[in-house]
Amino acid sequence: MTTAVTIPRHGGTGGRTAVAARARQVVKAYGSGETRVVALDHVDVDIARGQFTAIMGPSGSGKSTLMHCLAGLDNVTSGQIHLDETEITGLKDKKLTQLRRDRIGFIFQAFNLLPTLNALENITLPMDIAGRKPDREWLDRVVRTVGLAERLRHRPTELSGGQQQRVAVARALAARPEIIFGDEPTGNLDSRAGAEVLGFLRQSVDELGQTIVMVTHDPVAASYADRVLYLADGRIVDEMLRPTADAVLDRMKDFDARGRTS
Amino acid sequence: MSANTMMKTSVRNFFAHKGRMALSAVAVLLSVAFVCGTLVFTDTMDTTFDKLFAATSSDVTVSPKEAKNEGSDTGRPESMPASALTRVERADGVKSAEGAVSSMNVTVVNADNKNMGSENGAPTIAGNWTHNDLRSMDITSGHAPRGPTEVMVDSDTAKKHHLKMGDELRTIAATGDFRARIVGIASFKVTNPGAAVVYFDTATAQRELLGRTGQFTQINVAADAGVSDAVLKKNVAASLDGPYKFQTQAEAADANRKDVGSFMDVIKYAMLGFAGIAFLVGIFLIINTFSMLVAQRTREIGLMRAVGSSRKQVNRSVLVEALLLGVFGSVIGVGAGVGLAVGLMKMMSAAGMDLSTDDLTVRWTTPAIGLLLGIVVTVLAAYVPARRAGKVSPMAALRDAGTPADVKAGLVRGLIGLVLTGGGGFALYTATQAAKAGEGSLWLGVGIVTTLVGFVVIGPLLAGGVVRVISAVLLRMFGSVGRMAERNALRNPRRTGATGAALMIGLALVACLSVVGSSMVASATSELDKSVGADFIVEGQNGLKPQAAQALKSAGESGYVSHVTEVKFVRTTLTTPGGVKEDEQLVAATPTYAQDLRRETTAGELSAAYGKDAMSVGSEFAKKNHLKVGDTMKVAFDHGRTVGLRIAAITSDDTTFDKGAMYINLTTAKRYVPADRLPLNGMMFAKAEPGKAGQAYKALKSSVAADPTVHVKNQTDYKQTLKDQVGQMLNMIYGLLALAIVVAVLGVVNTLALSVVERTREIGLMRAIGLSRRQLRRMIRLESVVIAVFGALLGLGLGMGWGATAQKLLALEGLDVLEIPWPTILTVFVGSAFVGLFAALIPAFRAGRMNVLNAIATE
Repeated sequence: MTTAVTIPRHGGTGGRTAVAARARQVVKAYGSGETRVVALDHVDVDIARGQFTAIMGPSGSGKSTLMHCLAGLDNVTSGQIHLDETEITGLKDKKLTQLRRDRIGFIFQAFNLLPTLNALENITLPMDIAGRKPDREWLDRVVRTVGLAERLRHRPTELSGGQQQRVAVARALAARPEIIFGDEPTGNLDSRAGAEVLGFLRQSVDELGQTIVMVTHDPVAASYADRVLYLADGRIVDEMLRPTADAVLDRMKDFDARGRTS
Repeated sequence: MSANTMMKTSVRNFFAHKGRMALSAVAVLLSVAFVCGTLVFTDTMDTTFDKLFAATSSDVTVSPKEAKNEGSDTGRPESMPASALTRVERADGVKSAEGAVSSMNVTVVNADNKNMGSENGAPTIAGNWTHNDLRSMDITSGHAPRGPTEVMVDSDTAKKHHLKMGDELRTIAATGDFRARIVGIASFKVTNPGAAVVYFDTATAQRELLGRTGQFTQINVAADAGVSDAVLKKNVAASLDGPYKFQTQAEAADANRKDVGSFMDVIKYAMLGFAGIAFLVGIFLIINTFSMLVAQRTREIGLMRAVGSSRKQVNRSVLVEALLLGVFGSVIGVGAGVGLAVGLMKMMSAAGMDLSTDDLTVRWTTPAIGLLLGIVVTVLAAYVPARRAGKVSPMAALRDAGTPADVKAGLVRGLIGLVLTGGGGFALYTATQAAKAGEGSLWLGVGIVTTLVGFVVIGPLLAGGVVRVISAVLLRMFGSVGRMAERNALRNPRRTGATGAALMIGLALVACLSVVGSSMVASATSELDKSVGADFIVEGQNGLKPQAAQALKSAGESGYVSHVTEVKFVRTTLTTPGGVKEDEQLVAATPTYAQDLRRETTAGELSAAYGKDAMSVGSEFAKKNHLKVGDTMKVAFDHGRTVGLRIAAITSDDTTFDKGAMYINLTTAKRYVPADRLPLNGMMFAKAEPGKAGQAYKALKSSVAADPTVHVKNQTDYKQTLKDQVGQMLNMIYGLLALAIVVAVLGVVNTLALSVVERTREIGLMRAIGLSRRQLRRMIRLESVVIAVFGALLGLGLGMGWGATAQKLLALEGLDVLEIPWPTILTVFVGSAFVGLFAALIPAFRAGRMNVLNAIATE
């Protein structure tokens, strides 16, 4: 199977370039010699600006690794990754940290919030760390969008799982990062709370022009995206535009079947 | 689950937490090492002195009854006539008897007028060279002294002061100065702990040290073969009658040892006390470590309970870990203790007290005590956390553990803490109100212990408020990093409280002692200003020898000095008009003493006490014996006459200096005590003519330049000396308390290390969303600083309270000025912040190195 090189789509909300992040010939391998395991095998990918991209694949396919590399959390064995015009491969920890702080937002599956800080403090944390003042108007808008205005003074332990993830979404949005990366952001939520969070993500793309990349194995979650990338064995094997849950599920089944027979 | 499996679990857990266990083990180790080191050190000193005294005492020693080891009051040792020797020689069972002369009231100086003796209490001994000395010494170069110009010196002194054969030594004795050249050097066969020894031939020693020939200070008797010391003693005693003292070798050694022993005991118990404090602090560290381990392992313990281990088994498995820790720490501690003792001996050697490692004495009790103490304390400290482990329900295995929930300090704890602190505060207040120092000090002790325990109990509750205040002042400038540090410190108040409390104990003692010490200096200084009218104070090593006294009096004629005062302490037995007999030392002084040391009187005039056949008494003594001015006291002067002296004044005892002193005129003493029985001047004072202070000081100083042990001090110097002495003592105590503080710092390291492990995911998250390594490290350092400063605030506050109470109490004893040494307090406070920074070094470094991805992935 050949690696699908995706062609950037023009349009959307526009911007400096239409590509928010791109990976070229990215290889991520662990170990060496006999025990060498390749998690990413010469991956090329472009993340379109202002779009909601989902990355899917069976466990062990390298989807999380790809996200970690794109987000500057992990370094690559070879290849290049650019965030807008900045090459992040080869950056030192200090620069990478700054980049994550100022230009990237994160939503993790669980344990997104610091238990010692209240919801509002958690939301503004990246800006506080950077020593920047949050844009009040924007912050209000984000908080209203995710429906947390009433709960800003609550500590994470006083919030439900869904509320906690909404705080995480608000935090990711509040600093107006170039890209938000989500690592199974709804993995720990029941379907209703999950739908709510995914709704906000979708909304932030549509209304705020946010770029989002989300790793998931849930076809329903993937159906909220504009585009779904399929990973298997460290390679991008397929992509689907304007997915529906059923279509995604079918495609997954298809891969599963193929995986078993090959 | 079998006992065997439980044991395996314990052992594996122990080794799984090597780092944390190592810190606790260090605490156990340090405390045990200190205890064992103290024991080995003092036992070794005992051995050294035992060997020395055994080697220097003959089978039987005869000496005048009143002879004392230290220099006698007159500056000349008590002696006996040579005829006694002749009689002893004839006694049954005597193989040989030899007259010895020795004096400890001498100063030996070299050609540069430098004191050859020890500066720190070890004596300078001058005597004649006898056969008995051959038992403890070898002549290693030259020969024994012959004739009036020859002297032999011990090799330690020779080495210390680079003395060679032919060098001239001047010996200053009460009977005069004389010079002699070194013709021999003798080495001790046993360890000489620091005395400087010089030998002359018998005639020279008699003439120069006693002032007359045909006299001995001691007779050394050797027994015939088969005659025991006891029998010999009996025979010798029968041959002599008169005021003599007979001692067998064992008795003489015992008597000598008793003199040294009480001094050694003070050192021993003081050091053990500090070891105890270190243990106390170590207990906090151990409790904290095990509490953390149990909290961290809640899920695991739940699983063990779910699969069927009993509470007891879980409980026991934790205790077994504690036992391992205790054994491990104590065993190394015992070894380290021996090392510590050797180090201490080396340090003492550097300071001039020679101790040889050949005498190193490790009694079997030392390791036994060390091991027992270390193990028992460790297991006891782990008992509470172990019980808590036993109470973990099997359900804990099923719950999502994550990070342990914030522990809220309980209401009960608060109440108990408040009651204890309040009670302790009340005890302290009672102490300040006490009319008698004895009763007050009991209250003070109770108050100190109770407030300390109260603070420890209430610490976690105080942590909330105090940490917030510290953060508001200190952390504000660090923005969000500071805020997170504050929140983290507040997260588990019990842990913060316990960690801070460990530091609190050491610092409270530092604060208390520094307050007492500086109050002591301030009180003495103010008393000096108030009552001392003399410009100059002159002190010597064992009083002032006649040469120095004469020189000072001559300097008094220089025109710069308005008067010179002599002060002697004269032994008497008093009989009051009521018939009460008491042994008292009278202060016999030149009448100008009344100007040199101003005293309030409650009746009569002090100057009248210096009148003919007059005296004064202190108000307490007067009250006790119903004495009033005009009463006659019967005074029996030692070696002098018994006369009636009229009480002419009663001095107020509300004073620090000369409290209770009874004054008489020096001429009164001279009239009733024979001149050769008059003691040396204990001290002398002088006053400068107006405007001539500088010249007077110079004249007085140069007049006694010949004797380096005589020190003339003006008031400024005197105050400085006082301050230096107190400062030195405090520094020594601080040094010992440093041990407790080191253990407390280990506790801070431990707490932080655990916090970092517990918060791995949080740290990963923060790093992911952009917290830099530097910010992360700063956050951990700030948390550490907050904990340390919290402990310091509590400790310093508590300690200053104790110190102030102690001062109030000691005001009864003349400590009437309270002075808080703010520079010290401030230094300790700032220092504690640095201690916090230091403690965070490794935990912060490790947190910084944490891999972000792994941290996030940690389940």
